[in-house]
Amino acid sequence: MPSFISNFKQRMRLPRMFFRKPTREEQIHGGPPLEFERPIPPAPWRGITVVITIVVIAATALWEWHARSRGYAPSLNDNDDLWTSARRRVEPESIVIIGDSRGWFDCDLDEFQKGLGKRPIQLAAPGSTTWPVLEDLAKDETFHGTIICSFVPMLFFAPPGSPPMERAQKNVKRFHNQTPAQRVSEHLGIWLEERVAFLKPDDLSLEGLLNNLPIPNRSGARVPPRFPPYFERVDRERRARMWEKCAEPGSELAQRIQQIWLPLFTPPPPPSYIPTDVFMAKFKEGIQKRFGDVTAAIEKIRARGGKIVFVRFPHTGGLKELEDKITPRQQNWDPLLQMTHAPGIYYSDFPELSGFNCPEWSHLSAGDSVEFSKRLVPHLRTALEMPVAP
Amino acid sequence: MLFNSLTFVVFYVVVTTLYWSLSGWNLRKNLLVVASYIFYGAWNPPFAALLFTTTAMDFWLGRQIGKAQNHSAKKRWLVASVCMNLSMLGFFKYGNFLLQNFQWLVARVGIIYQPPHLDILLPVGISFYTFHSLSYTLDIYRGVLHPTRSLRDFILAVSFFPQLVAGPIVRAGDFLPQLAHPTRLKTNQFFWGLALMTLGLFEKIVLADTLLSGPADRVFGYAGPLVATDSWAGVLAFAGQIFFDFAGYSITAIGAALTLGFHLKDNFRFPYAAIGFSDFWRRWHISLSTFLRDYLYIPLGGNQVRPFRMALNLVIVMFLGGLWHGAAWTFVVWGLLHGSYLVIERVIRIFFEDKPWASSPVTRVVAGFATYGAVCVAWVFFRASDFTIASRMLSGMFGGHPNGDMILTTRELLQIAVVTAGVIGMHWTMREESFETAVIRLPAWAITAIGAVMAFAIVFTQGTSNAFIYFQF
Repeated sequence: MPSFISNFKQRMRLPRMFFRKPTREEQIHGGPPLEFERPIPPAPWRGITVVITIVVIAATALWEWHARSRGYAPSLNDNDDLWTSARRRVEPESIVIIGDSRGWFDCDLDEFQKGLGKRPIQLAAPGSTTWPVLEDLAKDETFHGTIICSFVPMLFFAPPGSPPMERAQKNVKRFHNQTPAQRVSEHLGIWLEERVAFLKPDDLSLEGLLNNLPIPNRSGARVPPRFPPYFERVDRERRARMWEKCAEPGSELAQRIQQIWLPLFTPPPPPSYIPTDVFMAKFKEGIQKRFGDVTAAIEKIRARGGKIVFVRFPHTGGLKELEDKITPRQQNWDPLLQMTHAPGIYYSDFPELSGFNCPEWSHLSAGDSVEFSKRLVPHLRTALEMPVAP
Repeated sequence: MLFNSLTFVVFYVVVTTLYWSLSGWNLRKNLLVVASYIFYGAWNPPFAALLFTTTAMDFWLGRQIGKAQNHSAKKRWLVASVCMNLSMLGFFKYGNFLLQNFQWLVARVGIIYQPPHLDILLPVGISFYTFHSLSYTLDIYRGVLHPTRSLRDFILAVSFFPQLVAGPIVRAGDFLPQLAHPTRLKTNQFFWGLALMTLGLFEKIVLADTLLSGPADRVFGYAGPLVATDSWAGVLAFAGQIFFDFAGYSITAIGAALTLGFHLKDNFRFPYAAIGFSDFWRRWHISLSTFLRDYLYIPLGGNQVRPFRMALNLVIVMFLGGLWHGAAWTFVVWGLLHGSYLVIERVIRIFFEDKPWASSPVTRVVAGFATYGAVCVAWVFFRASDFTIASRMLSGMFGGHPNGDMILTTRELLQIAVVTAGVIGMHWTMREESFETAVIRLPAWAITAIGAVMAFAIVFTQGTSNAFIYFQF
């Protein structure tokens, strides 16, 4: 019976040519032409490809029509590449907006430019915490500009490993590690998203649709809360504007999102695998550490001549009640300003900033965000000790 | 550049159009060299220089081996090539790992040593292209290949963009001969290549990234104990994810190469229908397992030695195979587990192979599922980032945490069940044949319907350009 080795030698594709003079072809190309050829299944492949192409184009067009008929319009996806493109524009003396989705929705760049003399760069990101971006700006030795920081306690104190932290870290990481290929994809993606309405990965993709299937979960399962559906439009500067369909008073979409915020803003139960008192001690320790880290980062930026102002943006309805209850101002906003010695603007302290209605309880409509920004500017100028506007 | 990115779509269309528009064979090859370096440099341009250096060195060393007049001289040049390639791999991939282990080791004898953390960026695909390049000098030494005179051809053999960063590991001896004669545009081959690319991208974007990666990441990233259902679901999700991710890349690479007129061999052959572990390794990452077989296992004596030595050879090969995947002890354990599986299988075969029931259909199915189960257990070490997670996962899988947490949604559990049943069913249905013969049985309308569903699913899924798992290796 032939051994494995002799079998292997017999099966060798190339002749053993160690001790003989190679042919000219072998000398040039290392060996004779390959005997191996992939089989091509006999089928009318050209026709099949043509039909598939037509079907896919037709199905895509139908899906686009369906998306537009539901009110969707072309809009950029706020992904890490778009964030990176904004971060690249930050110059040493830039005004940047950082923080969460309230800073993202509620700041109108035109009004800020008119009032502050410079067009701010939008670095706030929905569902993300402030710390990684603040830390990145503090580490950037060239930066000595102005930071307008949105403050939502649940997000601001998000612990390491939590989704808000990972989201912000992903953005910062992409800024530092973006490859040339990713940069090209960023431009191609923007070109497509500005023209195609169904490109909404969180909403109109396979995953988005599967997420929306009404399948009940096992009782006691610690599943992640659902995220709100698409309700904003984003431009190249990352300016987010609430979708009119959501901004309509009492709209079904706004009400649906309101009911999504409540579980999202409710702290999850402590993990089952750590004793509650140990977890709570660690949690409090984490908050103190965040206060300390933020203070140190701000000191660093200030030492270079930079400035920061914290802003608590409007929120209303059941969400305000919930936030006031679980993250009262005295426990986070006041200590934050005290420890960092940074100025802060709490919307409800000023009558002209209060009274705005957030359609889905958390953000201002596009129209209100312009008005709010206009009214916020004088307060920002005061807080940042800018000369009185002419 | 990722296959599942918009950049690649544009790159591929431009390169393929230009390639078939050019009439001169040398011009086409030059184009492919430039395109392959752009493909690679699009991650990190300086690493293209590293790729070129490795390639040029092996080209020169290959010539020295070819020119050497006696065996010992050939051996010296081969050792130089192996050292050059492995030291490159060692520095970039294993530098920090070696330092950490050295620190641990000296600490055992009471020496406190704090090594500097080397801030080394791993060149993408270094494990693959090092093996592409190394196969050249090894085959010249073995006498199955003559050194090529064309540096350009060798550069193309190592860097050919479809297989450059995540395989299949294409040996120079399999690719260089294809550069001898101009490839011709064959319509059916071109469109079949496109069909394979569609299948590969469907596997990656829809099955691996959309249906399986989320639950797998959550289960392996969870800090607490999980009940058996969620633990197994996470492992099955990862088993499916890594197959569709890697097989998807390989099929896309094979398809892209075909559209340019090149033939790459299969890298997967329905591995989850394997009966036994030898069978598994004849079906999983075939280009790596045959590389290790030909350049390591057989030189060590293969199975032509005494049983104990053969068992040791298997374990050594799988140990190194594990380490090839990553600089972590979890990968080593994964490799050792597979080595042990192979040894146990040999022992079982000695005792039971001749029994009449051994080849009965029931036994084969039971053995097949036992193989799949054991492979899944090994995947725990492959996926877990440390042994704490791995041991917690294994404990959860075998009922160690009846009061553990449930973290997967019902929808995710259903998704994993459907995809796992689907992949196992497909693999068992096609285990005795090739993918091409399975396609032959289908009528044209069925191929069209399946192709259209897959292509639209890719568009519909709106992938997020997740990197392929094997890029990190």
